[in-house]
Amino acid sequence: MKDTRTALLQGTLDLLILKALSTGELHGLGVSRRIEQMTGGTFAPQPGSLFPALHRLEEAGWLESSWDASENNRRAKFYKLTRAGRRQLGEETEAWQRIAMAMTRALEA
Amino acid sequence: MTPLRRLIAFWRNLWRREHLDRDLNDELRTAFDSLVDDHVRAGLSREEAQRAAALEFGPIESVKDRVRDARAGASLDILRLDLRYAARLLRRSPLFTTVATLSLAVGIAATTTIFTVGNGLLFRAPSGVQDPDTLVDIFRAEEGVPMGNFTSSYPYFLDVQRSATSLSGVFAYELEPRPITIGSADGTEVAFANLVSPNYFTVLGVRSAAGRLFTAADDSTSEESIAVLSCRFWQRRFNGDRAIVGATIQVNRYPFTVVGIADEQFHGVNLLSPEVWLPMSAIAVVQPGTRRLTNRALLDLGMGGRLKVETSRSQAAAELDQIARQIEAAYPTEEHGIRLRVGRLSSIPGALTTVATGLFMLLLAVVSTVLIIACANVSGVLLARAALRRREMAVRIAIGAGRRRLIQQLLTETMLLAVLGGATGLAVARAATSLLLAALPPFPVPIDISVPLDRHVVAFAVLVSGIAAGLAGLAPALHASRADIIVALKDESQGSSDRQRLRSAFVVAQVAFSCVLVVIAVLLVQALQRIAATQDFDPHGVEVTSIDLATAGYAAGGTFARDLVDRLRAHSAVESATLAQWMPGRGGTDVAVTVPGVTPPVGESSFLGTANAIDSDFFRTLRVQLRAGRDFNASDTADGEPVTIISATTARYLWPNQEAVGRYITWHERRGGTTDIVTMLRVVGVAPDLKSPFGRPRRRATPRDAAPTTDVRPAAAPPVLMMYVPLRQRFTPRFSILARARGEQPVGQEIRRLVKAMDINLPMMTPQPLDADTGPVYLQIRVAASVAGAVGLIGLVLAAMGVYGVAAYSTQSRTREIGVRLALGAQQADIVRMVLHHGMTLVTAGAAVGLALALAGGQLLSSRLAGVEPFSATAFSIVAALFLSVGLAACYLPARHATQIDAMEALRYE
Repeated sequence: MKDTRTALLQGTLDLLILKALSTGELHGLGVSRRIEQMTGGTFAPQPGSLFPALHRLEEAGWLESSWDASENNRRAKFYKLTRAGRRQLGEETEAWQRIAMAMTRALEA
Repeated sequence: MTPLRRLIAFWRNLWRREHLDRDLNDELRTAFDSLVDDHVRAGLSREEAQRAAALEFGPIESVKDRVRDARAGASLDILRLDLRYAARLLRRSPLFTTVATLSLAVGIAATTTIFTVGNGLLFRAPSGVQDPDTLVDIFRAEEGVPMGNFTSSYPYFLDVQRSATSLSGVFAYELEPRPITIGSADGTEVAFANLVSPNYFTVLGVRSAAGRLFTAADDSTSEESIAVLSCRFWQRRFNGDRAIVGATIQVNRYPFTVVGIADEQFHGVNLLSPEVWLPMSAIAVVQPGTRRLTNRALLDLGMGGRLKVETSRSQAAAELDQIARQIEAAYPTEEHGIRLRVGRLSSIPGALTTVATGLFMLLLAVVSTVLIIACANVSGVLLARAALRRREMAVRIAIGAGRRRLIQQLLTETMLLAVLGGATGLAVARAATSLLLAALPPFPVPIDISVPLDRHVVAFAVLVSGIAAGLAGLAPALHASRADIIVALKDESQGSSDRQRLRSAFVVAQVAFSCVLVVIAVLLVQALQRIAATQDFDPHGVEVTSIDLATAGYAAGGTFARDLVDRLRAHSAVESATLAQWMPGRGGTDVAVTVPGVTPPVGESSFLGTANAIDSDFFRTLRVQLRAGRDFNASDTADGEPVTIISATTARYLWPNQEAVGRYITWHERRGGTTDIVTMLRVVGVAPDLKSPFGRPRRRATPRDAAPTTDVRPAAAPPVLMMYVPLRQRFTPRFSILARARGEQPVGQEIRRLVKAMDINLPMMTPQPLDADTGPVYLQIRVAASVAGAVGLIGLVLAAMGVYGVAAYSTQSRTREIGVRLALGAQQADIVRMVLHHGMTLVTAGAAVGLALALAGGQLLSSRLAGVEPFSATAFSIVAALFLSVGLAACYLPARHATQIDAMEALRYE
């Protein structure tokens, strides 16, 4: 399973981050935990790829951030989706579903 | 958050990296600590938890690096996207792109051209010298005389040189190179020589291209006469032959040894570039009999110096001020009120720098308005486009684009326009600069004007383009990004009044600015016309040069002069020719005269007269009719009866309402000793006054004048009595040659050829048209008038484009309304009136504001430039009419377009 974890595609990670944030704002580690939980432990993005991705998405205008207290009272940076990010999530979900469907069909045939 | 605040925040983020880094640090720290907490909760010891967390996290610095890369990458991606999008938009509307680019290019080119010239003349240190930053220009100032003489005498220079301790060296040079003859085995020719103090080259740190330059040892006591040649002259005259170093050449027929050639880069310290340098002691050869080395009244030297290490210019200035006061104490009469000033050593010497800088700043201010107009224009077009793009903006905001992103995108578009405009502008500026230099009147002395397109100029153009982009783009960008989604998506024609108002304001401003400039140009042109009208003679078509027979070794020269003028008159291209000791309108030699039967002013024993020795045909050559009497003729020889022609004012003052011809004037002279030589001159003619419009009122230099007098003075002080005397009766070896061409072809070259044919060794100034010699003020006004005029007309064209844009847009957005009106039976004339009304309101408002500003501008101008009237009804009405008609023309097309709207079509449109 370790192999799958490290071979996480960048586009996939972006999509997972957007999805993880679709239900509300989270700090960096929270995003990682949510993804792990959503994928049943299949994906657990490492900080080395998670944080660059978060900042890239923020710079692209899909996420915005604010500083707040974390669950154990540490000053943490919370991310949430912007409207553009929500739209991006919709588009990418659609694209991904098309690809996944096509792949499944191709592999099953 | 307002868009402006967002913009500020955006820039802050961009520039405050450390702030971002601290945030990133905090973020990762928190994440790491939380990870440790997780592991502790899962049952690990704190140490083990930390190790596990560190393993999971990887090296924290590399994570940071990757975050930074990701951010930068994203920004660059966005910039690339924006640029591509902007480029596509600009390509898609070529008309808009062309208009906007050209507008900006015009503005940027205008400012850059002026800056290039100013940069070349004012801020460029002389080339070919060592460490130009520590060189200073030292010049004199007369206390209480704003534009007094700034040059120094040789004794004064020696005083300064002896006392100055803050300078490692003080040098002096004649401000103007003087014509001399250079003779060698292969002939003789005229060259321009600069007399300099022996330490000139050492203090400046000029290198030699061959041989050696002067050293302090080459002072007046040295036996041998020596010269240094400029590299250019050496190449041209001697083909760069090294054998010339050490060889003997003839300077004004006197042997000089060429000791060396100056470095190729060095052209002297100011604009005038000498071809030969001679030590000051050579004055005995160049100008025999002068007391230049000892006379404190001979002021024609420029001074310069080099600051000692760790000495500032202000320290040197303070010391020199002290020195000036000491010299004044030592020579209380000769050096009364003389102070010393210190400036940068630049192409323009001494106090002239202040004048030139002022003019430069004025020009820059004037051309900056073009840039402002251009920016307003682009702003206007962008606003109009923003109107067309409201849907696009609204859609983008609706689907979640941040305002910051929109502003960024719009600014990227403007930036791209500014880059295009800037590049075009720079190219245009380059062409304009060379055109400007080519249009300069010919100089009698070789000059070195290099106005390079150096990095300062490029930096300036980039800066100006940036400012232009900001000016032109910010308002439309802020405005566009505020698009009201609902309104924009729902309906086309509402919600745009705000934008329309802003755009209208821009057009008003444009019209006002160009109006000011055109009014000023007209005022200046009127001043020029007035000058031309007050010029009592017709300088057009007359070429003038001057020669000095004394320096060329003629003992008398009278025969030579007669021969020369006869040959000139015989030439087929010459209508008439004459000789004159002084140029017309430039006064003459001060003389003391008495007049039988007329009492001199109270307290004086004689009148102050000014005499100009002229040959016959002087008045004919200037196209001036004598009021009475006759011109000088062949019978007025040295043996004949002494005669004079006086000016009309002189005649009126001496013999009011009486015949002046036939009366006598007594000329008193002191030649050599104290004996008063008295000559009776019979008045044979009366000539009109030949005023120089900018001639400074002559100050009477009698000591009595300075003392406060208590006696009652006559209401009107007597005029300076202007007298012309025949050159044959009072010959001077130094005179000007004036020749009027028969046709349009100038005869300067003919004069030159004739003089050369008579004596190849005679030094002569390059002939110049007489109308170019109307003084620096005239030139200043002419330059200012052409710049203001050109700039104002460019502004007018830009403003017309603005008016057209507004009128066209308003017609377009009111298509439906016009359709309804037409359908309801409105006449075409009504529609035209409606469109015109809107456009012309703007033009009228702009013109009104412009004229009001021009009123203030005229006041300012007339206080700065002599001869300019602050207000002229003609100027103002001409300009008002011009702007209204251009405005009408600009509105005409949209109006015509409006009348052609098909009512049915317009109504069916929605």
